[in-house]
Amino acid sequence: MRLILAAAFAVTPALALAQDDSAVQDALKARQGYMAAISANMGPLAAMAKGDVAYDEAQAVFHANNLAALGNYEVEMHFLPDTAQGQVEGSHALPKLWDNLDDVRAKHEDFKVAAAAAPEGVKGGQAQVGAVVQSLGGTCKACHDNYRAK
Amino acid sequence: MEPVREKLWDPALRAFHWLLAFFVIAAWVLGKFGPANMWLHFWCGYAVAGLLVFRLIWGFVGPEPARFRHFLTGPGKMLRYARGMFRRVPSYWPGHNPLGALSVIAMLLVLAAQVGSGLVSDPDDFINVGPLAGQVSQATSRAAVGWHNLGAVLILALVILHVGVILFYRFWKREDLVRPMLTGWKLVRRDD
Ligand code: HEC
Ligand code: HEM
Repeated sequence: MRLILAAAFAVTPALALAQDDSAVQDALKARQGYMAAISANMGPLAAMAKGDVAYDEAQAVFHANNLAALGNYEVEMHFLPDTAQGQVEGSHALPKLWDNLDDVRAKHEDFKVAAAAAPEGVKGGQAQVGAVVQSLGGTCKACHDNYRAK
Repeated sequence: MEPVREKLWDPALRAFHWLLAFFVIAAWVLGKFGPANMWLHFWCGYAVAGLLVFRLIWGFVGPEPARFRHFLTGPGKMLRYARGMFRRVPSYWPGHNPLGALSVIAMLLVLAAQVGSGLVSDPDDFINVGPLAGQVSQATSRAAVGWHNLGAVLILALVILHVGVILFYRFWKREDLVRPMLTGWKLVRRDD
Protein backbone atom coordinates (compact mmCIF):
# COMPACT_ATOMS: atom_id res chain seq x y z
CA MET A 1 0.00 0.00 0.00
CA ARG A 2 2.76 2.35 1.00
CA LEU A 3 4.52 1.43 -2.20
CA ILE A 4 1.44 2.20 -4.29
CA LEU A 5 1.03 5.55 -2.56
CA ALA A 6 4.67 6.39 -3.11
CA ALA A 7 4.37 5.39 -6.74
CA ALA A 8 1.25 7.52 -7.11
CA PHE A 9 3.05 10.51 -5.66
CA ALA A 10 5.98 9.93 -7.95
CA VAL A 11 3.79 9.70 -11.03
CA THR A 12 1.49 12.65 -10.34
CA PRO A 13 3.95 15.42 -11.21
CA ALA A 14 5.02 13.49 -14.29
CA LEU A 15 1.36 13.31 -15.40
CA ALA A 16 0.92 16.97 -14.70
CA LEU A 17 3.89 17.64 -16.92
CA ALA A 18 2.64 15.33 -19.62
CA GLN A 19 -0.71 17.09 -19.68
CA ASP A 20 1.01 20.44 -19.70
CA ASP A 21 -1.05 22.84 -21.68
CA SER A 22 -0.13 22.35 -25.26
CA ALA A 23 0.36 26.05 -25.97
CA VAL A 24 3.43 25.96 -23.77
CA GLN A 25 4.69 22.80 -25.47
CA ASP A 26 4.18 24.41 -28.86
CA ALA A 27 5.97 27.57 -27.80
CA LEU A 28 8.98 25.51 -26.73
CA LYS A 29 8.93 23.57 -29.98
CA ALA A 30 8.70 26.79 -31.95
CA ARG A 31 11.63 28.35 -30.08
CA GLN A 32 13.89 25.35 -30.46
CA GLY A 33 12.76 24.98 -34.04
CA TYR A 34 13.67 28.62 -34.61
CA MET A 35 17.17 27.98 -33.27
CA ALA A 36 17.38 24.85 -35.43
CA ALA A 37 16.38 26.85 -38.51
CA ILE A 38 19.08 29.41 -37.74
CA SER A 39 21.59 26.58 -37.34
CA ALA A 40 20.51 24.94 -40.59
CA ASN A 41 21.53 28.11 -42.41
CA MET A 42 24.62 28.84 -40.33
CA GLY A 43 25.96 25.33 -40.99
CA PRO A 44 26.52 25.71 -44.75
CA LEU A 45 28.01 29.18 -44.27
CA ALA A 46 30.41 27.93 -41.59
CA ALA A 47 31.40 25.00 -43.82
CA MET A 48 32.14 27.45 -46.65
CA ALA A 49 34.10 29.72 -44.32
CA LYS A 50 36.27 26.80 -43.21
CA GLY A 51 36.73 25.58 -46.77
CA ASP A 52 35.00 22.25 -46.12
CA VAL A 53 32.65 23.24 -48.93
CA ALA A 54 33.71 25.23 -52.00
CA TYR A 55 32.65 28.88 -52.06
CA ASP A 56 29.43 29.32 -53.98
CA GLU A 57 28.08 32.85 -53.99
CA ALA A 58 24.51 31.94 -54.90
CA GLN A 59 24.34 29.37 -52.10
CA ALA A 60 25.91 31.77 -49.61
CA VAL A 61 23.44 34.53 -50.46
CA PHE A 62 20.55 32.07 -50.26
CA HIS A 63 21.44 31.05 -46.68
CA ALA A 64 22.24 34.63 -45.71
CA ASN A 65 18.81 35.73 -46.95
CA ASN A 66 17.19 33.02 -44.82
CA LEU A 67 19.09 34.26 -41.77
CA ALA A 68 18.06 37.84 -42.49
CA ALA A 69 14.44 36.71 -42.64
CA LEU A 70 14.82 34.76 -39.37
CA GLY A 71 16.28 37.88 -37.78
CA ASN A 72 12.93 39.58 -38.27
CA TYR A 73 11.25 37.36 -35.69
CA GLU A 74 10.50 39.02 -32.41
CA VAL A 75 11.73 37.84 -29.07
CA GLU A 76 8.22 37.92 -27.61
CA MET A 77 7.08 35.29 -30.03
CA HIS A 78 9.62 32.69 -28.95
CA PHE A 79 10.13 33.45 -25.30
CA LEU A 80 6.61 33.05 -23.99
CA PRO A 81 6.18 33.06 -20.21
CA ASP A 82 6.19 29.68 -18.41
CA THR A 83 8.61 28.10 -20.88
CA ALA A 84 11.79 28.32 -18.80
CA GLN A 85 13.93 25.39 -17.75
CA GLY A 86 12.16 23.72 -14.84
CA GLN A 87 8.75 24.91 -16.00
CA VAL A 88 8.52 22.77 -19.09
CA GLU A 89 10.45 19.60 -19.81
CA GLY A 90 13.17 19.91 -22.43
CA SER A 91 13.64 23.64 -22.09
CA HIS A 92 17.18 24.94 -21.66
CA ALA A 93 16.22 28.59 -21.39
CA LEU A 94 17.30 30.00 -18.02
CA PRO A 95 14.54 31.58 -15.90
CA LYS A 96 16.57 34.80 -15.60
CA LEU A 97 15.91 35.38 -19.29
CA TRP A 98 12.42 36.59 -18.38
CA ASP A 99 13.82 39.00 -15.79
CA ASN A 100 16.04 40.60 -18.41
CA LEU A 101 13.81 40.84 -21.45
CA ASP A 102 15.24 44.20 -22.47
CA ASP A 103 18.72 42.75 -22.61
CA VAL A 104 17.44 39.68 -24.46
CA ARG A 105 15.77 41.96 -27.00
CA ALA A 106 19.04 43.87 -27.41
CA LYS A 107 20.96 40.64 -27.94
CA HIS A 108 18.41 39.46 -30.47
CA GLU A 109 18.66 42.84 -32.17
CA ASP A 110 22.43 42.30 -32.50
CA PHE A 111 21.70 39.04 -34.27
CA LYS A 112 19.12 40.74 -36.48
CA VAL A 113 21.56 43.49 -37.48
CA ALA A 114 24.34 40.98 -38.25
CA ALA A 115 21.90 38.83 -40.24
CA ALA A 116 20.57 41.81 -42.19
CA ALA A 117 24.11 42.60 -43.32
CA ALA A 118 24.81 38.98 -44.29
CA PRO A 119 23.32 38.81 -47.84
CA GLU A 120 25.61 41.60 -49.06
CA GLY A 121 28.42 40.58 -46.73
CA VAL A 122 28.92 37.07 -48.06
CA LYS A 123 29.49 38.25 -51.64
CA GLY A 124 33.01 38.19 -53.01
CA GLY A 125 34.66 35.03 -51.69
CA GLN A 126 35.43 32.65 -48.87
CA ALA A 127 37.03 35.32 -46.66
CA GLN A 128 33.85 37.40 -46.84
CA VAL A 129 31.80 34.44 -45.63
CA GLY A 130 34.30 33.95 -42.81
CA ALA A 131 33.80 37.50 -41.58
CA VAL A 132 30.00 37.13 -41.70
CA VAL A 133 30.10 33.84 -39.74
CA GLN A 134 32.31 35.49 -37.12
CA SER A 135 29.97 38.41 -36.62
CA LEU A 136 26.86 36.20 -36.56
CA GLY A 137 28.50 33.61 -34.29
CA GLY A 138 29.43 36.28 -31.78
CA THR A 139 25.75 37.16 -31.38
CA CYS A 140 24.79 33.50 -30.73
CA LYS A 141 27.49 33.22 -28.07
CA ALA A 142 26.53 36.48 -26.35
CA CYS A 143 22.98 35.26 -25.82
CA HIS A 144 23.76 31.60 -25.06
CA ASP A 145 26.42 32.55 -22.47
CA ASN A 146 23.82 34.42 -20.46
CA TYR A 147 20.49 32.79 -21.07
CA ARG A 148 20.98 29.19 -22.15
CA ALA A 149 21.59 26.44 -19.61
CA LYS A 150 24.94 24.66 -20.01
CA MET B 1 68.06 16.33 13.04
CA GLU B 2 68.76 19.75 11.58
CA PRO B 3 67.10 20.57 8.26
CA VAL B 4 69.47 20.91 5.31
CA ARG B 5 69.33 23.00 2.16
CA GLU B 6 68.83 20.73 -0.78
CA LYS B 7 68.22 21.09 -4.50
CA LEU B 8 64.73 19.59 -4.54
CA TRP B 9 62.84 20.63 -7.66
CA ASP B 10 64.53 20.15 -11.03
CA PRO B 11 64.43 22.96 -13.64
CA ALA B 12 62.00 21.17 -15.96
CA LEU B 13 59.51 20.64 -13.14
CA ARG B 14 59.74 24.27 -12.09
CA ALA B 15 59.26 25.45 -15.66
CA PHE B 16 56.30 23.08 -15.93
CA HIS B 17 54.77 24.47 -12.75
CA TRP B 18 54.88 28.13 -13.74
CA LEU B 19 53.89 27.54 -17.35
CA LEU B 20 50.92 25.49 -16.17
CA ALA B 21 49.88 28.23 -13.76
CA PHE B 22 50.14 30.80 -16.53
CA PHE B 23 48.20 28.91 -19.18
CA VAL B 24 45.49 27.65 -16.82
CA ILE B 25 44.83 31.16 -15.54
CA ALA B 26 44.96 32.59 -19.07
CA ALA B 27 42.56 29.90 -20.35
CA TRP B 28 40.22 30.47 -17.42
CA VAL B 29 40.10 34.24 -17.74
CA LEU B 30 39.76 34.12 -21.54
CA GLY B 31 36.98 31.54 -21.19
CA LYS B 32 34.96 33.71 -18.87
CA PHE B 33 35.82 37.20 -20.05
CA GLY B 34 37.65 36.85 -23.36
CA PRO B 35 36.55 37.95 -26.84
CA ALA B 36 33.71 36.18 -28.67
CA ASN B 37 36.18 34.32 -30.85
CA MET B 38 37.95 31.94 -28.49
CA TRP B 39 40.93 30.86 -30.58
CA LEU B 40 43.38 32.17 -27.97
CA HIS B 41 41.52 30.21 -25.29
CA PHE B 42 41.84 27.08 -27.43
CA TRP B 43 45.60 27.54 -27.79
CA CYS B 44 46.03 28.07 -24.05
CA GLY B 45 44.11 24.80 -23.63
CA TYR B 46 46.44 23.01 -26.06
CA ALA B 47 49.43 24.34 -24.12
CA VAL B 48 47.89 22.89 -20.94
CA ALA B 49 47.39 19.58 -22.75
CA GLY B 50 51.05 19.50 -23.77
CA LEU B 51 52.16 20.33 -20.24
CA LEU B 52 49.98 17.54 -18.82
CA VAL B 53 51.57 15.02 -21.18
CA PHE B 54 54.99 16.18 -20.03
CA ARG B 55 53.97 15.83 -16.38
CA LEU B 56 52.66 12.33 -16.92
CA ILE B 57 55.98 11.25 -18.45
CA TRP B 58 58.00 13.13 -15.83
CA GLY B 59 56.04 11.36 -13.10
CA PHE B 60 57.62 8.10 -14.25
CA VAL B 61 61.06 9.02 -15.56
CA GLY B 62 61.84 12.36 -13.85
CA PRO B 63 63.99 12.94 -10.77
CA GLU B 64 62.86 11.32 -7.51
CA PRO B 65 60.72 14.18 -6.03
CA ALA B 66 58.80 14.46 -9.33
CA ARG B 67 57.83 10.78 -9.45
CA PHE B 68 54.30 9.68 -8.66
CA ARG B 69 55.46 6.68 -6.66
CA HIS B 70 57.57 9.00 -4.53
CA PHE B 71 54.67 11.15 -3.35
CA LEU B 72 51.62 8.92 -3.73
CA THR B 73 51.38 7.24 -0.36
CA GLY B 74 48.67 5.37 1.53
CA PRO B 75 45.88 6.79 3.69
CA GLY B 76 47.84 5.92 6.86
CA LYS B 77 50.68 8.25 6.00
CA MET B 78 48.23 10.96 4.91
CA LEU B 79 46.38 10.74 8.21
CA ARG B 80 49.60 10.88 10.19
CA TYR B 81 50.69 13.95 8.25
CA ALA B 82 47.30 15.62 8.63
CA ARG B 83 47.40 15.18 12.41
CA GLY B 84 50.61 17.14 12.75
CA MET B 85 49.75 19.61 10.08
CA PHE B 86 48.51 22.45 12.28
CA ARG B 87 51.59 22.64 14.46
CA ARG B 88 53.22 26.03 13.96
CA VAL B 89 56.47 24.65 12.59
CA PRO B 90 57.76 24.22 9.06
CA SER B 91 57.23 20.75 7.61
CA TYR B 92 60.69 20.53 5.99
CA TRP B 93 59.07 17.93 3.81
CA PRO B 94 61.35 16.72 1.00
CA GLY B 95 58.84 17.02 -1.84
CA HIS B 96 55.06 16.92 -2.07
CA ASN B 97 53.77 15.96 1.36
CA PRO B 98 51.27 13.06 1.55
CA LEU B 99 48.25 15.40 1.62
CA GLY B 100 49.59 17.81 -0.98
CA ALA B 101 50.00 14.80 -3.24
CA LEU B 102 46.21 14.44 -3.27
CA SER B 103 45.82 18.00 -4.43
CA VAL B 104 48.45 17.49 -7.14
CA ILE B 105 46.59 14.46 -8.48
CA ALA B 106 43.21 16.20 -8.21
CA MET B 107 44.50 19.15 -10.23
CA LEU B 108 46.08 17.00 -12.93
CA LEU B 109 42.91 14.90 -13.29
CA VAL B 110 40.52 17.86 -13.38
CA LEU B 111 42.72 19.69 -15.89
CA ALA B 112 42.88 16.60 -18.10
CA ALA B 113 39.08 16.32 -17.96
CA GLN B 114 38.80 20.04 -18.75
CA VAL B 115 40.96 19.67 -21.85
CA GLY B 116 38.98 16.60 -22.89
CA SER B 117 35.58 18.24 -22.50
CA GLY B 118 36.81 21.39 -24.26
CA LEU B 119 38.03 19.40 -27.26
CA VAL B 120 34.57 17.89 -27.85
CA SER B 121 32.41 20.90 -26.87
CA ASP B 122 29.92 22.38 -29.31
CA PRO B 123 28.38 25.59 -27.87
CA ASP B 124 26.14 26.07 -30.95
CA ASP B 125 27.71 29.31 -32.10
CA PHE B 126 29.60 27.98 -35.17
CA ILE B 127 32.76 29.86 -34.24
CA ASN B 128 34.04 28.13 -31.09
CA VAL B 129 33.43 24.48 -31.87
CA GLY B 130 35.94 22.12 -30.25
CA PRO B 131 38.14 20.45 -32.91
CA LEU B 132 36.95 16.95 -31.95
CA ALA B 133 33.24 17.78 -31.49
CA GLY B 134 32.50 16.10 -34.82
CA GLN B 135 33.95 12.81 -33.54
CA VAL B 136 31.30 12.36 -30.84
CA SER B 137 27.51 12.37 -30.84
CA GLN B 138 25.65 15.66 -30.80
CA ALA B 139 24.26 14.85 -27.34
CA THR B 140 27.81 14.36 -26.06
CA SER B 141 29.18 17.54 -27.59
CA ARG B 142 26.27 19.46 -26.09
CA ALA B 143 26.71 17.84 -22.66
CA ALA B 144 30.45 18.53 -22.85
CA VAL B 145 29.71 22.27 -22.65
CA GLY B 146 28.10 21.58 -19.27
CA TRP B 147 31.02 19.45 -18.04
CA HIS B 148 33.45 22.12 -19.21
CA ASN B 149 31.49 24.70 -17.27
CA LEU B 150 31.51 22.52 -14.14
CA GLY B 151 35.22 21.86 -14.64
CA ALA B 152 35.86 25.61 -14.64
CA VAL B 153 34.23 25.85 -11.19
CA LEU B 154 36.26 22.91 -9.86
CA ILE B 155 39.48 24.42 -11.20
CA LEU B 156 38.72 27.72 -9.53
CA ALA B 157 38.07 25.90 -6.23
CA LEU B 158 41.30 23.88 -6.50
CA VAL B 159 43.35 26.96 -7.35
CA ILE B 160 41.91 28.87 -4.39
CA LEU B 161 42.63 25.90 -2.12
CA HIS B 162 46.16 25.63 -3.53
CA VAL B 163 46.96 29.30 -2.95
CA GLY B 164 45.22 29.23 0.43
CA VAL B 165 47.35 26.33 1.63
CA ILE B 166 50.54 28.03 0.40
CA LEU B 167 49.55 31.08 2.48
CA PHE B 168 48.78 28.80 5.43
CA TYR B 169 52.29 27.35 5.24
CA ARG B 170 53.82 30.79 4.80
CA PHE B 171 52.10 32.57 7.66
CA TRP B 172 50.97 29.85 10.04
CA LYS B 173 53.71 27.28 9.66
CA ARG B 174 56.32 29.89 8.65
CA GLU B 175 57.53 27.89 5.68
CA ASP B 176 58.02 29.50 2.28
CA LEU B 177 57.03 27.05 -0.43
CA VAL B 178 57.07 29.57 -3.28
CA ARG B 179 60.79 30.26 -3.33
CA PRO B 180 61.73 26.57 -3.64
CA MET B 181 59.45 26.33 -6.68
CA LEU B 182 61.36 29.28 -8.16
CA THR B 183 64.95 28.38 -7.26
CA GLY B 184 64.72 24.65 -6.65
CA TRP B 185 66.39 24.95 -3.23
CA LYS B 186 64.43 23.96 -0.10
CA LEU B 187 65.15 23.31 3.56
CA VAL B 188 64.33 19.65 4.10
CA ARG B 189 64.65 17.02 6.77
CA ARG B 190 64.64 13.30 6.11
CA ASP B 191 64.20 11.48 9.39
CA ASP B 192 61.90 8.64 8.53
C1 HEC C 1 18.38 36.33 -28.06
C2 HEC C 1 19.10 35.18 -27.59
C3 HEC C 1 19.65 34.15 -28.55
C4 HEC C 1 20.32 34.37 -29.73
C5 HEC C 1 20.72 35.68 -30.37
C6 HEC C 1 20.65 33.06 -30.25
N1 HEC C 1 20.17 32.07 -29.42
FE1 HEC C 1 20.25 30.07 -29.73
N2 HEC C 1 19.28 29.74 -27.99
C7 HEC C 1 18.86 30.71 -27.10
C8 HEC C 1 18.21 30.08 -25.97
C9 HEC C 1 17.62 30.81 -24.77
C10 HEC C 1 18.24 28.70 -26.21
C11 HEC C 1 17.63 27.59 -25.33
C12 HEC C 1 16.23 27.38 -25.83
C13 HEC C 1 15.50 26.27 -25.12
O1 HEC C 1 16.07 25.18 -24.87
O2 HEC C 1 14.31 26.46 -24.82
C14 HEC C 1 18.92 28.51 -27.48
C15 HEC C 1 19.13 27.28 -28.07
C16 HEC C 1 19.81 27.07 -29.26
C17 HEC C 1 20.01 25.78 -29.88
C18 HEC C 1 19.52 24.43 -29.32
C19 HEC C 1 18.06 24.27 -29.74
C20 HEC C 1 17.49 22.97 -29.20
O3 HEC C 1 16.90 22.21 -29.97
O4 HEC C 1 17.61 22.72 -28.00
C21 HEC C 1 20.72 26.01 -31.04
C22 HEC C 1 21.17 24.96 -32.03
C23 HEC C 1 20.95 27.42 -31.13
N3 HEC C 1 20.38 28.05 -30.04
C24 HEC C 1 21.63 28.04 -32.16
C25 HEC C 1 21.81 29.43 -32.26
C26 HEC C 1 22.63 30.06 -33.30
C27 HEC C 1 23.41 29.32 -34.35
C28 HEC C 1 22.53 31.40 -33.07
C29 HEC C 1 23.21 32.53 -33.82
C30 HEC C 1 23.24 32.55 -35.23
C31 HEC C 1 21.68 31.61 -31.91
N4 HEC C 1 21.28 30.39 -31.44
C32 HEC C 1 21.36 32.86 -31.42
C33 HEC C 1 19.02 32.07 -27.25
C34 HEC C 1 19.58 32.70 -28.34
C1 HEM D 1 42.71 23.50 -18.74
C2 HEM D 1 42.44 24.25 -19.72
C3 HEM D 1 41.12 24.97 -19.85
C4 HEM D 1 40.49 25.80 -18.95
C5 HEM D 1 40.96 26.21 -17.56
C6 HEM D 1 39.26 26.24 -19.57
C7 HEM D 1 38.35 27.11 -18.99
C8 HEM D 1 37.19 27.57 -19.60
C9 HEM D 1 36.25 28.50 -19.02
C10 HEM D 1 36.38 29.16 -17.64
C11 HEM D 1 35.25 28.70 -19.92
C12 HEM D 1 34.00 29.56 -19.73
C13 HEM D 1 32.90 28.65 -19.25
C14 HEM D 1 31.64 29.38 -19.02
O1 HEM D 1 31.64 30.38 -18.29
O2 HEM D 1 30.65 28.94 -19.56
C15 HEM D 1 35.54 27.90 -21.09
C16 HEM D 1 34.74 27.82 -22.23
C17 HEM D 1 35.06 27.09 -23.36
N1 HEM D 1 36.22 26.34 -23.57
FE1 HEM D 1 37.68 26.02 -22.21
N2 HEM D 1 39.16 25.67 -20.84
C18 HEM D 1 40.29 24.88 -21.04
C19 HEM D 1 40.61 24.14 -22.17
C20 HEM D 1 39.86 24.13 -23.35
C21 HEM D 1 40.21 23.41 -24.56
C22 HEM D 1 41.46 22.55 -24.75
C23 HEM D 1 39.20 23.65 -25.46
C24 HEM D 1 39.05 23.16 -26.89
C25 HEM D 1 39.99 23.00 -27.72
C26 HEM D 1 38.23 24.51 -24.84
C27 HEM D 1 37.07 24.96 -25.43
C28 HEM D 1 36.12 25.77 -24.84
C29 HEM D 1 34.86 26.16 -25.46
C30 HEM D 1 34.36 25.74 -26.85
C31 HEM D 1 34.20 26.98 -24.53
C32 HEM D 1 32.84 27.66 -24.71
C33 HEM D 1 31.80 26.82 -24.05
C34 HEM D 1 30.70 27.66 -23.52
O3 HEM D 1 30.08 28.39 -24.30
O4 HEM D 1 30.48 27.60 -22.31
N3 HEM D 1 38.66 24.79 -23.54
N4 HEM D 1 36.74 27.22 -20.87
